[in-house]
Amino acid sequence: MRILTVVCSTAALMVATPLSAQTLNVATAGDQNMVDYVKDYLGPMFEKSHPGVKVVSVGTGAGDSGSQKIYEKLDAQKTAAASDFDVVVIHQKAAGTMVKEGLLAKYTDKVDTAKLVTSETATNSLGADVSGFVLPMFQSQTALAYNADLVKSPPGTYAELREWAKKNPKQFGYNGIKGGMSGVAFVAGWVYAFGGDADKLIKGPYDPSVKASWDGALVDLKDFNKNVVITPGNAGTLDMLNRGEIAIGPVWVDMFYSWQADGKLPPNMKLKLAAPGMPGQPMYYAVPEKTAHRKLAEEFIALATSPQVQADGIVKRFNWYPGIDAKNLEGKLDQAAWNKLFSDITPTDLSKNAKAFPIAPYFNDILESYEKKVAN
Amino acid sequence: MLSQRQLALILIAPGLLLVAALFLYPLGFSLVSAFTRADGTLTLEWFAKAYELYSGDIVFTVIIVLASCLLTALAAIAIAGTLTLGDNPWIVGTLKALYRWPLFIPFIVAAQCMRTFLAKNGLMNNTFVSLGLMEPLSATSFLDWRGIIATFVWKQTPFVALLVAGALASIDRATLEAGRNLGASRLRVLIELALPQVMPTLLVALVLSFVTMLSVLSVPLMVSGSQPTMLTVDMAFRINAYGDYATANALGVITYLISAGAAILYLKRSMAKEATS
Repeated sequence: MRILTVVCSTAALMVATPLSAQTLNVATAGDQNMVDYVKDYLGPMFEKSHPGVKVVSVGTGAGDSGSQKIYEKLDAQKTAAASDFDVVVIHQKAAGTMVKEGLLAKYTDKVDTAKLVTSETATNSLGADVSGFVLPMFQSQTALAYNADLVKSPPGTYAELREWAKKNPKQFGYNGIKGGMSGVAFVAGWVYAFGGDADKLIKGPYDPSVKASWDGALVDLKDFNKNVVITPGNAGTLDMLNRGEIAIGPVWVDMFYSWQADGKLPPNMKLKLAAPGMPGQPMYYAVPEKTAHRKLAEEFIALATSPQVQADGIVKRFNWYPGIDAKNLEGKLDQAAWNKLFSDITPTDLSKNAKAFPIAPYFNDILESYEKKVAN
Repeated sequence: MLSQRQLALILIAPGLLLVAALFLYPLGFSLVSAFTRADGTLTLEWFAKAYELYSGDIVFTVIIVLASCLLTALAAIAIAGTLTLGDNPWIVGTLKALYRWPLFIPFIVAAQCMRTFLAKNGLMNNTFVSLGLMEPLSATSFLDWRGIIATFVWKQTPFVALLVAGALASIDRATLEAGRNLGASRLRVLIELALPQVMPTLLVALVLSFVTMLSVLSVPLMVSGSQPTMLTVDMAFRINAYGDYATANALGVITYLISAGAAILYLKRSMAKEATS
């Protein structure tokens, strides 16, 4: 018995403290598929090219709350010698805050693949200047998913959707603003469509009086909500689409394709990017200022943003849009994978109707106005 | 030599420290944050904001938790009563073996099960439809306030039933049998003779359930859509979406006040009991 105890505790110690090996801790905010991406795909690949290095993938939870947890951890370790995380994968809103508070390191000039990034989001994160601090891991997009058997001609604009929902009560569903970002994106798109100047909300500058101009749009939204189903979460919307309980709902494109590939959504589901536009967002790779393994972290991100990994991992396996410019992926990806990603939503749709989220202060104003005028 | 008194203090010190560090300090911290601005001046503005944005959710939370308590009490009394007074050994045995199971299932797992069970085309409605008890078109989704109540009642009933059954088993059987001999039905014996004797236990169990249900985040988050929703979801949202701890703490204080209401009810009752005994 005593021997067993000794053996067990030694084994536990060995697991807990790898003696010579270096450990790279990668903290990921986001849904489980993103944590799996690092754990099952990127981590093993990096370990193979860097013998003796162990990649540990930590998930901190979906949505902005996941990024908030990473922010709180780094903030708490501000005065510590080294932070627990070496690479962080974060949302846009948190990236701005973390850069402003000096929690992130400027690293992109040391990573060659940074030159392949052309997206504006690499420098501007919801109005905050983040150039040098982040590289986009991927670009994700929301769109309306619909059951093509039930809906022959899906609404192409928010105005048409509003009419459609009136005629087909309880057949449209979204998850409000407290149950995940696909609902938040739908609401932001609603304000873009009916609240006035969408461009100003995306580009700034911030003017606190603008929110008063959304009143009419929000009253309409409250009215619209009477005819729709509020679903429990991003996955809740997909679940209800799958069970045929709703016919249209806003979803993340990557989740949609992954669920469809897993057989959790029937093949008759299709996507439509409603005009004048629905928001999408990148996830960022960033390096905490206090990491003890800065060099390794940079190499990890260089691998993650290399064209081959972006083609195989990001586009083919996980159905995200690439974080680096798509033209760098030519030749790395077979035509079928490329076509699948762009079959329902064409590149033209994307360039016309894929919008960014509003800059952070407008973003908060939209959420709070929704709570005030629509939810309560 | 240490005196008896000092020794006693040393013995309870670790426990006291634990309570102070893990409960009193965070409690004080959240109270301060709920009543002060960033610059340290006193304010009630967070409460005004909490009321402006979440007044509906406050009422919703209280109603959900009270309704769940009421239904839990009814279900628990039925189960505990059957266990103590039932005389069909087969029913009593099966019930005894089954009723505790939900105790061992975490709220989040229960919520996940209910999510597919109570949905419009979920397991429950599909079963009814395939049994011919319901038309597919008349199926409705229970994934709203009804779903939250169903999950809470399912999860808390065994806890309350366990305590009440224990109390029922320990009361003097003679009174119950006297009642039966005089011709009272079992239901009447349960309601008029047995229940009054175990009322304090029932009340304690319900107060504990009340506070537990008030603090659950996973169930409202997973089972129902977010409009309206319970205060725990709003608190999480304040922090996650805005990093706004002040309003979240104000909502926390409101939750303390609601649970304090339950605690006062319980204290009053136990004090009245001590005064009479």
